[in-house]
Amino acid sequence: MNVHAASGDTWGISGPTFLRYYIAAAILVVAIAVYYRVRLATGSMVAMTAEPLGPQQVAYLNGGPQLAVHAALGGLRGSGAIGVRPDRRLTTSGPAPSGLTPLEQAIHWAAHQHSRVGDLPRDERVRVALHQIRNGLAQRGLLTDDAQRARARFWTTILIALLGLGVLRLFSGLFNDHPVGYLLLTVVTLLIVTLVLRRAPMLTRAGRAALRGVRREHTHLAPASAPAYATYGAAGAAMGVALYGTATLWALDPGFAEQAEIQRQAASGSGWTGGSDGSSGGGDSSGGDGGSSCGGGGGGCGGGGGCGG
Amino acid sequence: MRGRRRVRRMTGPSGIGIGWRPEIAGFVAELPGLRFVEVVAEGVPASGPLPPGLTRLRDRAVTVVPHGVRLSLGGAEPVDPARVAHLAAVAQRLDAPLVSEHIAFVRAGGLEAGHLLPLPRSREAVDAVCANVARAQAELPVPIALEPIAALLDWPDDELTEADFLTEILDRTGALLLLDVANVHANARNRGTDPLALLDRLPLERVAYAHVAGGAEHGGLYHDTHTDPVPTAVLELVGALCARRRPPALLLERDGHYPPAAELRAELDALATAAGFPAVT
Repeated sequence: MNVHAASGDTWGISGPTFLRYYIAAAILVVAIAVYYRVRLATGSMVAMTAEPLGPQQVAYLNGGPQLAVHAALGGLRGSGAIGVRPDRRLTTSGPAPSGLTPLEQAIHWAAHQHSRVGDLPRDERVRVALHQIRNGLAQRGLLTDDAQRARARFWTTILIALLGLGVLRLFSGLFNDHPVGYLLLTVVTLLIVTLVLRRAPMLTRAGRAALRGVRREHTHLAPASAPAYATYGAAGAAMGVALYGTATLWALDPGFAEQAEIQRQAASGSGWTGGSDGSSGGGDSSGGDGGSSCGGGGGGCGGGGGCGG
Repeated sequence: MRGRRRVRRMTGPSGIGIGWRPEIAGFVAELPGLRFVEVVAEGVPASGPLPPGLTRLRDRAVTVVPHGVRLSLGGAEPVDPARVAHLAAVAQRLDAPLVSEHIAFVRAGGLEAGHLLPLPRSREAVDAVCANVARAQAELPVPIALEPIAALLDWPDDELTEADFLTEILDRTGALLLLDVANVHANARNRGTDPLALLDRLPLERVAYAHVAGGAEHGGLYHDTHTDPVPTAVLELVGALCARRRPPALLLERDGHYPPAAELRAELDALATAAGFPAVT
């Protein structure tokens, strides 16, 4: 309704002028953000080695450091190398078996020191081993690079700032009874784009593909088919945890899982989403697959909690 | 004649096989020489996706034989057409060369027993079984093999011997025989009879394949548990059977208490050695 009277312009800039610059800025920032986001998912072009991924690496891809620790626990428990004491602290049944991965060695050592499962991610040797796994996966182009992720996140932040500016202008315009239709449209579009770009993925496209490949080859470890862990051995147990979460640990040895205060959790399967480094693994569609087999009486999910930090 | 519909058919079971169970699907998938597995028919859906492990075995051209456990061929009432239809559908889906079922009943008068129960070996029972087998054969796209079950006791009014009972059913239905070597051992052991005498009287030329399973003795009786290792006596009986007439295939049945992979492989190897078949491991 209002004729554009220069005197009444919000912030002294006319609506069309602001909109023009605003849209230009938005397009520019979105383009840059999309560019870094795509580059992030593509990953740096590192030669992929044919070497198959071990359970802990798969677990790291699927649920981050916490799941890698649980996968190592599954392997160690599957081979009977570790146990849990009535005071809920870990213990070992003898000297470390040969052929352990660095993470398993670290956890075996921590178990020897009667560490709690919840404290493992903070253990120095465990952290070093986890870091090794992470670096190895990044080098293979399966995990996104920290610096690249920071850059992608930076441009998303700029996008959010731009969004804030638009909202501010929107409200000022509304208060001054200016037409805001086009600005509203722009802001809503920008909001949608921001929501899409918001998360910087932990896995590259190659990482997700690798995870899918491993999962396809190990469908027999799904808790729904009540896998015979005795037959599949320690490696099978570890891979089961890596792909299907701690629900596998509960199925493997409910007594151990409960006593060691391991939360029952099914891995989402879509890959590690990052989140706050540590506690929550890959998603938490807990409860395992349709009833499955889990021995652990009572079924009460989660148990006593107290896992992670 | 059976098999009126012409279907693309896999070759019949041959060599050493193992009962495919979801619990050990990953183990079975890794057996390089495997040509034959058996799957519990009721565990395979008639439509929708097959268990991925089975699909992969089919891609490897491994013969998959559906093994029914709920048809209740020995029941006094006619077999449930829906159950026969399911078995037929599964056979078709898996390109099975044959299916198998038990000579037993699992329900009577609308009550489900939950497991396989033995029949009295009477002429009446033979008639009932033959009628039900004929009903099933009319709907099945492939031949059926019949498996007698282990019985800890004989019914008091048995008119026929075990061998006559089976021969009569096979002759009248034209069905094949699925011989369970562990059952032969169990029955002989628990009744104090000679298992070799039974082997001598059975129509061994009709055996499509044989079952071999583990068991254990409790309280002086041998139990065909399928959860224990195969005892030496059963392996020796396999040898005796193969010396008379070797079945085209022998299948290891394991249904629980799955041992480490190495032990399971050793069981398969021992069975192969006893039967004179190449190892599948």
